[in-house]
Amino acid sequence: MTNSSPGAAGPVAGADGHPGEDLLASYAAGAIDEVAAWSVEAHLTACGRCRSALSAHVDAERLAHNRSVLLVRAAIGDGGRLRRVLRRGGLPDHVLGLVAATPSLRRSWLLSVMGVLAVVAGEAAAVRYGWITAGSPGRIPGYPGQNLAPFLLVGPLLVLAGVAAAFLPMFDPACRLAAAAPFSGFVLLLARSVSALAAALVPVAAAAFLLPGPGWLPVALMLPSLTLCAFALAAATVLPPRAAAVMAAILWAVPALLLAVDDVPLLIVQRNAQFGCAAVLCACAVVLLARRDRFEWGWIR
Amino acid sequence: MDQMTLNVRTAVVRVDGLSRRYGATRALDQVDLTLERGITGLLGPNGAGKTTLLSILATVSEPDAGRVSAFGLDPRDAAERVEIRRRLGYLPQELGYHRHFTVAAFLDYVAILKEITDRRRRAEEVARVLAAVGLEDRARSRIRALSGGMRQRLGIAQALLGSPDLLILDEPTAGLDPEQRLRFRELLSGLPGDPVTVLSTHQADDIAAICPQVVVLLQGQVHFAGTPSELAATAAGRAWAAGERDDRAHLSWRGGDNRWRHIGDHPPAGAELVSPTVEDGYLMLSHAAGGR
Repeated sequence: MTNSSPGAAGPVAGADGHPGEDLLASYAAGAIDEVAAWSVEAHLTACGRCRSALSAHVDAERLAHNRSVLLVRAAIGDGGRLRRVLRRGGLPDHVLGLVAATPSLRRSWLLSVMGVLAVVAGEAAAVRYGWITAGSPGRIPGYPGQNLAPFLLVGPLLVLAGVAAAFLPMFDPACRLAAAAPFSGFVLLLARSVSALAAALVPVAAAAFLLPGPGWLPVALMLPSLTLCAFALAAATVLPPRAAAVMAAILWAVPALLLAVDDVPLLIVQRNAQFGCAAVLCACAVVLLARRDRFEWGWIR
Repeated sequence: MDQMTLNVRTAVVRVDGLSRRYGATRALDQVDLTLERGITGLLGPNGAGKTTLLSILATVSEPDAGRVSAFGLDPRDAAERVEIRRRLGYLPQELGYHRHFTVAAFLDYVAILKEITDRRRRAEEVARVLAAVGLEDRARSRIRALSGGMRQRLGIAQALLGSPDLLILDEPTAGLDPEQRLRFRELLSGLPGDPVTVLSTHQADDIAAICPQVVVLLQGQVHFAGTPSELAATAAGRAWAAGERDDRAHLSWRGGDNRWRHIGDHPPAGAELVSPTVEDGYLMLSHAAGGR
């Protein structure tokens, strides 16, 4: 092997302009330095004869193994644009991989959430701007004068539904594998719940901005939504998970409906209610941390 | 660390006085068991408690009473439970799949659950187990597009991720065709490291073919633990072949040669005594326990 020939062969070319057999063998075995490897590769791209000669030096078993690993990597993919962005943002790839199995992050689920929000927000906007009247068929009976009531009822419940779908065993077909795996069930639960929470809060807050209500409504909805989800998770450490989610939903829906009947649904997102929510949120966080072992053992019993 | 290494080398799984109830139903009743390295077959009819026992061994369920020890580790302790799970491969009886996942993406997901966080290593592990079960050409297929047998093989593949030291397989051959069952037996017999393997099955021929040890579970209790030949021997002198059905037999069925096989204490007229099989021994025990 000499460096005498010019052209595509570059510095690795021999007297005849091609890499020698020894160099090809070393390249195939991965036993040459990086710079020489680049030179060989530059030559190989332009020389069919050397590509053929190289194949004689390749370990067929190793090649088959590499091929199957490459096929697997291609089949796994990189998770799409959002996952790439989050990865660049510093989130560990394996955590993103676990989150990808969260049912409430699927496109169909998110589209359903946006559909429901569009209906309730659209109805509120239509009443507010007089496109439909208070007595028209588009109005939900029982909420006289309060066109925000359906949205206040539904918004936090949608967020809760997304989080519940992220942690209820019934929505995870492979939950028994997760339960038998060494990866922390509690961390898995939190990763899924937080991602589901974020995915659901964004459309709810966006819809709240578009509503003809008070400007603080989107912010005021955040705390009750968070509290509901935290309550459901904390309750799941003492109750069956499904019962915990249903109980949280009832605890929001009943006062929201009662206030709507009395024409004062906004009370539920005003100052005193916010303080109440904050207190419950703190208590739930303490319970969840103290009883997190429940999600490591016996969660799907 | 030295103690841990020692435990792995002398590894056995011990089950002492294990009991578990579901409401009024007693699924396991004072089960005592010792599992050595190698393959142990778990035989029993539906409802005998096999799945409950395996899910407790897999640390998925808790027993009401009794204790389990795997590699000297106690699953009631959080840290030791995680250590057991690091060495575990588990195929549940009804494994659900994220059906929108591709085969490779599903295995990648399970590999993450098994704490294989490096992407390259995960891809190598996924490629290895796919080749082991003959699904390497299906890496890109959506799970919803797989046949039942392929899904079962995918389930076996995920259990093999990470080369587990304790392999728990709940009815792994269900849905496999005869050729796939043969391949599965070959795969299981050739696993490196001689893991502690427990497989439950209804197929007595699977047990006879690959299991040096067999346990018969009936009505939540262990009725037999020994070798397949010892199980077959429990029906010695009580397995008959005859041209006609005999109502006095505990069990009778027509075989492929159009002759009747009888299990019982009384030989039918004109019957000849035949060598008992594992299935004969199992059926004899099952009948004696009133499990059928």
